Amino acid sequence: MKTHSGLAEVGVLCGAFVLLWFAPVIADDYALQIAFRVLIYLSLAESWNLLAGSAGLVSLGTSCFVGLGAYVAFGLLNSLDMPLPLVLVCCALAGGALAALVSPALFRLRGLYFTVGTLALAELLRLTMVNVSAFGGASGIFLRQDPPPLPELFHYALVVALIASLSITACARTRVSVILRAVRDDEDAAAQMGVRPYRVKLGAFVLASALCAIAGGVQATKLGAIEPYGMFGLQWSIDVLAMVIIGGVGLRLGPLVGALLVVALGEALADYPEAHIAIAGVILIVLIRFAPRGVVGVVASLSSMMRRRAPA
Amino acid sequence: MPEIGIVLSTVVSGVLLGGMLALTALGLSIVLGVMRLVNLAHGDFLVVGAYAGFFFLKFTGVDPLVGLPVIALLLAALAVPLYHFLLAPLSTRGPEAQMMTMFAVSIILENVFVLAFSADTRTIERDYATLPLTFGSMTVPLIYVIGFSIAVALILMVHWLISRSGFGRDLRASSADAQAAEMLGVDVKRVQMLSFALGAACAGVGGTLIGAAFQFGPSSGGAYLLNSLAIVVLGGLGNVLGTLAGGLALGFLQSIGGLVLGDGYRDLVGMALFLLVLAFRPDGFLARARS
Repeated sequence: MKTHSGLAEVGVLCGAFVLLWFAPVIADDYALQIAFRVLIYLSLAESWNLLAGSAGLVSLGTSCFVGLGAYVAFGLLNSLDMPLPLVLVCCALAGGALAALVSPALFRLRGLYFTVGTLALAELLRLTMVNVSAFGGASGIFLRQDPPPLPELFHYALVVALIASLSITACARTRVSVILRAVRDDEDAAAQMGVRPYRVKLGAFVLASALCAIAGGVQATKLGAIEPYGMFGLQWSIDVLAMVIIGGVGLRLGPLVGALLVVALGEALADYPEAHIAIAGVILIVLIRFAPRGVVGVVASLSSMMRRRAPA
Repeated sequence: MPEIGIVLSTVVSGVLLGGMLALTALGLSIVLGVMRLVNLAHGDFLVVGAYAGFFFLKFTGVDPLVGLPVIALLLAALAVPLYHFLLAPLSTRGPEAQMMTMFAVSIILENVFVLAFSADTRTIERDYATLPLTFGSMTVPLIYVIGFSIAVALILMVHWLISRSGFGRDLRASSADAQAAEMLGVDVKRVQMLSFALGAACAGVGGTLIGAAFQFGPSSGGAYLLNSLAIVVLGGLGNVLGTLAGGLALGFLQSIGGLVLGDGYRDLVGMALFLLVLAFRPDGFLARARS
């Protein structure tokens, strides 16, 4: 039963992928821009959801790995002129390696310090880029070659989103999901049953960070120029957190619904940046308090209520 | 190597500044100990304190250092409804829900500051803020000495409050084991509310002191939050005098880092220390001395 629905999910994902692949044929530039942003956000939100929803690790360091991916991508493209797919693989490796490197510090005290640790790490990397002139300093770096055309970038973003979604499906539909949830709900009990909590959390963190770094690499290639304040900005972390909480933490469809809603909110309030963020904050507070499972959770419980009422 | 006078001045200024920051860090530490909550809006409470000092001076003309008790009360009064309406209802839902709520409060506050006070950086302008104090070849700004003295006096008062008073006993009991304290008749909700208010007051008073010594703006809070956390981790969680020592240590190391590597590296040293201490000495540098 479980494997069946898992296979169905893979089928749906691949079907959507094939359909969307041909989107540039009919869509105009504006629609592609929006779709690109949704796909990048989706990749980030899927990985955040894996950490928070499945492993109980709330990260404020999305920007750290997005920024790392951006800088690694520009470094390799500018100095070695490597082909972009290979560059993105290197971004993933760098993201995973950094996550593994800092995990001894971040997993202290049962993750009490994980959130602030990720925040501090992002700040540390940003200040490094600002201060070290080899990394372009505060003014950043330009991409020496022309960025690929938008349809091609859209395809890259689509592939990244597919990889992210398939990885999460693999985690959510196999034995891994049970292990992750066991660690999230009770570390001691999980350890008693022979699970190694540290390794499980490390694996989730490394995978999520690698995905964020690839997304960062694609985003940076599209921008053509990066600087530390934007690429390591808290805005990435805020948006991702907002997406998953609005969509539904730990729910399979949460990141997708959240990414669509956050991009829509951003477009609607594009002229009022301060009001936009403040409103996002208010939405977060209300949802955390009254609908901890987000929009998807509310819809799911409403529909099950309707179904229960229907026969009577 | 720069001449000895400059080195001494920089290091002493750094240590004094660290002592000022320790007061803010103490507020963070109390809330972390009692509520198991990393208050992500703590830096913004500090900025509220700085703005409060700024407008207090502007509208009353009275020196904000005289008005510190008013500012402390203002922050406490702001914190109580935050606790009551936002945090208390989430107390059964694990630490993440409360932490994310305070993160939302933080981004709301930052943008409210921009909307209400504009994005300009400001400073609380007093004559003594720019006055230098000279001992031999060493020069430190007078405001650092004043701010440091006030901060240390307040930290010692909080230390007395926590180690000697009845409220302090309840506070220590709640942070050691909230359930057991509850069973023995401690009103843990009330202790948490008062601790949260005390934490906010520490941040606010620290913010006024820092606002008199430095420029501040709507988004200054983030850096102070991270520096305060570095101090808490350096000093060891739940240790009032350790927090003071952590502040002095951070100030010292940041000024050394700034001297050796350049001024832009000061905050970087703080972040790196935070992660290194977490990795290698998670109970703080003073852990061995206590046990």
